[in-house]
Amino acid sequence: MPVADYLLAAGVAVGCGLDRTAALQMMISRPLVAGPLTGWVLGNAVAGLEVGSLIELLWLGRLPIGAAVPPDDTQVAVGGTALAVLAGPTFGMIGFPSVLLCTLLALPLGKVGELFDRLARYWNDRLALQAQKGVAENRFASVERCHLLGLVHFGLSSLATYAVIVIFGSVALHWLVPVLYAPVVRSAAWLRLGLPLVGAAVLLGTINVNRSLLLFGVSFAAVLLTLAVL
Amino acid sequence: MERKGIPKSILLRVMLRSFLLQASWNFERLQNLGTLYVLKPALSFLYRDDEFKQACLRHLEHFNTHPFLASPIFGTLLALENEPASRFDVQEFKSMIAAPYAAMGDSFFWGGVRPLAACLALFFAFKGSLAEVAVFLALFNIPHLWFRTVGFWQGYSLGIDSVAKIQEQRLPDQALRLKELTVILLGGLCAYLTFLTLQAKSLAAGWGILVLPLVFVVGWLARRRISVLLLALSMAAVVLAIPQIA
Repeated sequence: MPVADYLLAAGVAVGCGLDRTAALQMMISRPLVAGPLTGWVLGNAVAGLEVGSLIELLWLGRLPIGAAVPPDDTQVAVGGTALAVLAGPTFGMIGFPSVLLCTLLALPLGKVGELFDRLARYWNDRLALQAQKGVAENRFASVERCHLLGLVHFGLSSLATYAVIVIFGSVALHWLVPVLYAPVVRSAAWLRLGLPLVGAAVLLGTINVNRSLLLFGVSFAAVLLTLAVL
Repeated sequence: MERKGIPKSILLRVMLRSFLLQASWNFERLQNLGTLYVLKPALSFLYRDDEFKQACLRHLEHFNTHPFLASPIFGTLLALENEPASRFDVQEFKSMIAAPYAAMGDSFFWGGVRPLAACLALFFAFKGSLAEVAVFLALFNIPHLWFRTVGFWQGYSLGIDSVAKIQEQRLPDQALRLKELTVILLGGLCAYLTFLTLQAKSLAAGWGILVLPLVFVVGWLARRRISVLLLALSMAAVVLAIPQIA
């Protein structure tokens, strides 16, 4: 049942979303993991793998340092996979082109995740103040209660981002499939190359290593030459 | 005063709680509430009544560091809290160590280990193998969990000397090596993906060399702070438009 499947994916969205900042941080939130996990839950792990591999590199260089909130690529992976597996076939889309179109759609919609993440952190400001007040009044249990409420805030933020991607994505597919699906099918192979290349270029541009262009260029040429010869 | 010795069960609870350090991350005081949440079982063992309250308020002060390197800090903090003579130094130690540990952790884990693990896993992903998930998680989490568990116990057993132990690891140098390795792998990964695409399109592999200037230009634009989203969508628009124009 589609609604149950969307809810299952929402569960993955919340679980992976919490891993981004609030809990564990074992990197199940990375697109490379969140995508296949969502796909597996929905019965098509390969679609999730494809979504994850397309977007993994894009924001890999954005570090979650201090108050910086990186773009929510977790929900882009989860939402993009849910759209590709659940909504794609209802519009007559199949295979990798469906994954591509849904990923391209999820990318801009995922921007809203930064807003929700910031909201969660602002809500948490109040929790810290409440806990301080509780300790001052000898209500020490308020520490655990307030702290764990933060998980709810982060979970809601992830859920809201996922909902925006899936709801607006499904609506947008109505308009975009007739216009963009055929061109995406034609250019699928180049898009499969292009998105990871943009991610690699961004990572290369931001990784801060001396002689990075030289190292990259030599490695690229050596591997390409080897593959061509073999 | 002699050390009471915090029971292992309480230390284990503190260590496990450290996995939820950032649950209440906030803009005002960052990890302050998380720090108190993590340390509370040990503080309630060490202190009673007003002393406990003062200890709680002490740890509600502003605090922020890398979440994985927070564990060695927490271990050391408990060692310091356990010695009443050095109680004053708890705040001093926290404020002194948080920023350097944050810088080391950010550089090593976010800048070094994570991109390297992702690049290696992507080789599997582009081959269509789901083993990439296991590769990525294993490569990232072995050092991650080592710092969170062993680092915590070392922090507690060595006290302030654990700082030297962390310094011995030379994390900034290791991060630099990992980044260099990542760049090399990234080059290989892009070449591999380019080769697969050209092969699928029945084009000669030599055309792949044209990818290099493209990558350098996009990298330069990214360095100029052009939005990644804009770059990705522009690339997609160009790729979709070319066959239409042709």
